[in-house]
Amino acid sequence: MSELRPASASEVASMLRDLASAKTSVRIRGLGTRDRLCVPAPKGAAILSLRAMSAIERLEPDDLTCSVQPGVTCRQLADALTRAQLELDCLDADDLGTIGGLYASDPLPAASPHAASPRSTLLGIDGALMEGLEFRSGARVVKSVAGFDVHRLLVGSRGRLFAATLLHLKLRPAPKAKVAFESPPSDVVLATKLLHTLRIDASSPKRLMLLRENGVAMVCGVASGNPRQVASLLVRHGLREATAAKRPHLSAPDVGHELVVGCVRPSRLLDLVAALPAEAPLLAHGGGHFETMLTPSRSDALVAAMPRIGGHAVVALGANARIGVGTHLDVGAERLQRELRSALDPRALLA
Amino acid sequence: MKSVVDELEALLGPNRTIHSRDALLAWECDGFTIHREPPLAVVFPESTTEVQAVLRILSKNGVPFVPRGAGTCLSGGPTPVGPSVVVELARMNRVLDVDAVDRSALVQPGVVNLDLTTHVKHLSLHYAPDPSSQSVCTIGGNVAENSGGPHCFKYGMTVDHLIGATVVLPDGQLAQLGTESGPRPPQGLDLLGVFCGSEGTFGICTEIRVRLSTDQPAVRTLLASFADMTSACRAVSDIVGRGLVPAALEILDQATIRAVEASVYKAGYPEDAAAVLLVEFDGEEETLDEEAGQTRQVFAHHDALRIEEATDPRERLRLWKGRKGAFGAMGRLSTDLYVLDGVVPRTKLVEALEGIYAIGKKHFVVLTNVFHAGDGNLHPNISYDGRNTEETARVVQAGHEILELCVKLGGSVSGEHGIGTEKINHMPLMYRPQDLDVMARVRRAFDKEGLCNPGKVLPNRSACAESQKWPAMIARVLGEDAAR
Repeated sequence: MSELRPASASEVASMLRDLASAKTSVRIRGLGTRDRLCVPAPKGAAILSLRAMSAIERLEPDDLTCSVQPGVTCRQLADALTRAQLELDCLDADDLGTIGGLYASDPLPAASPHAASPRSTLLGIDGALMEGLEFRSGARVVKSVAGFDVHRLLVGSRGRLFAATLLHLKLRPAPKAKVAFESPPSDVVLATKLLHTLRIDASSPKRLMLLRENGVAMVCGVASGNPRQVASLLVRHGLREATAAKRPHLSAPDVGHELVVGCVRPSRLLDLVAALPAEAPLLAHGGGHFETMLTPSRSDALVAAMPRIGGHAVVALGANARIGVGTHLDVGAERLQRELRSALDPRALLA
Repeated sequence: MKSVVDELEALLGPNRTIHSRDALLAWECDGFTIHREPPLAVVFPESTTEVQAVLRILSKNGVPFVPRGAGTCLSGGPTPVGPSVVVELARMNRVLDVDAVDRSALVQPGVVNLDLTTHVKHLSLHYAPDPSSQSVCTIGGNVAENSGGPHCFKYGMTVDHLIGATVVLPDGQLAQLGTESGPRPPQGLDLLGVFCGSEGTFGICTEIRVRLSTDQPAVRTLLASFADMTSACRAVSDIVGRGLVPAALEILDQATIRAVEASVYKAGYPEDAAAVLLVEFDGEEETLDEEAGQTRQVFAHHDALRIEEATDPRERLRLWKGRKGAFGAMGRLSTDLYVLDGVVPRTKLVEALEGIYAIGKKHFVVLTNVFHAGDGNLHPNISYDGRNTEETARVVQAGHEILELCVKLGGSVSGEHGIGTEKINHMPLMYRPQDLDVMARVRRAFDKEGLCNPGKVLPNRSACAESQKWPAMIARVLGEDAAR
């Protein structure tokens, strides 16, 4: 597969236009760190890598906004924001991928009720359609409702609708304290109870997870804000400081297993637990997102159980043919997705 | 042949179908009173099934329709453009379910914003988006406009508080947007994100699952008055520059203060001040002392004339009374009020306000300012007499120049009121033809026939051709005889 590396928005548009003329399928990507989570690109598809578009074009600490090219790495932006005493709430500095990839894959919706998500921090984009048309959506200011928010369609689209060539993001002042915490190990019922108690706390942590491994469960996360508030939260809920924050995702699955991701109402978490084998690792975020590792047959059983539990589950990592196997979308939503793809990429060349 | 109104009456009964010309005047405009146009009929469905049935009838007959809640929109969103039927959702006003563990509520679109907070108050929960009209505006309208409010500086806009929605598409088909736990299913697009703020042009949401927020244990509200607007704006920048994140940062100018103080919303604001700045923090009591202390230092640094701090809920309500009642108080100045809505980067607030006052002076209009300073979201208010066409033309021109200025300073033509009909011709100030083309494609994906709230948001190049179809359309809706 050939890899194209445009260096500017106009090059992206022009390359897409040429590829569209040649009716060549295209996979848009950054550094490729999330490739394994996608269905393989069709044979003969071109790879359009946005990694060379790696400039932070604008960082306005006083306005709490920035504009970055999609190839900027998460680490690069995190460092720049730290220097300016700012933060992008949904940014994980340990993420090896790019900002474009972060928004296009939306790997983690708001992890707790107080946390921001890629969706809530994306103010606008410059982008290019497959036919080469360059467009803008949204604005560079922290608040705008002018026009339809086409830019929100980038979130979780995995490059299937258009290429983003510049992202305008909403920032926050860096919190004065940021502390990784964990609870003592317990059983999953007690840990779930603690997770709910933390979720409804007025100072709910911005990263909040329940982790079950080898039959032992714990609640962990990152609390941030005023130092006194953070300290008080930890004391109130019997939490201890952790040496390092736990990764917000499970690692790659063992041989014969696949990674299943999904979402469930937090109040139904124990129903989800009941539908899983006792030995299956589980990472459940306070916002309802979950990840688990299962054998294909157990994945199928979970997918079949999800309508009863209420939620969605889909195979994110496993054998190529298995990626994307999961619960069905609502018929109306499915139709809208089809119509949107057809409106923005009528020949369905973005793979 | 049965008219469309006959079909609608057969479906809903005569009490839930209005088509007498006099009665329709109540639906001829929203809070943007410069544009008025009554609908051909108004229907009052009370369930998702009824909304589906209504839209099937309208779609089958090619009749445009306009979804409407309380009609508090300020940009003409629910005002008809051309012959249309208003689908009034105010009777769909039930809170269907509250889940205290998930902290979510399932509501119908006609639930009044503040009523939801009242409904969940006993659980120490509230619905965070709080537009100034929250005591009357509906959640469905908030979704359509992606409404904000004073507290969205910290808590975000309506879109940030949505989990899912049941939507009736213009042809009557249902679509579930979002999920029960989050706004996007793992394998899907963020349909709910793009639907929110689409100003009723993508479909009608009939059930909405919203996120509820936990009440904060304590609140601290401060009010500082300043001898000039520049000092008030610089104080805002300094507060944010210190890393503080207040729940609200609001400024009122002198003309607004005087209107408020002369009204029933009198709050004891100092009338000699050029501006007052209202700052609110929420969180745990011990952290509020520190934040209020730092804010007082900022006020002093910018030579505040007077600083007040609410020490109890009654005092807090008093400090907010003037801000919340500011738009109502404008009724003292003239018969009509044009509430503008533009955004600038916060660092350009001083420049923007200087420009806005100069524009007001140039056009001899009565202009006041009350705004969400933390977001750079300006609300210049122009008081005028709508019966005076010459004055109204000056008001519209001043409004156009103010929005032009906002865009020139790197901002937006709307922060929370939407485009509607009011700003449809201002869209090209922000967007190029190809940007508008992409938006139009997205709209068509939801509404292929263009029946859902036409004439809004996107400038329509074929409006003239469409208007030639209107006589036939009117005849179809009302019947040949009534149309004559």
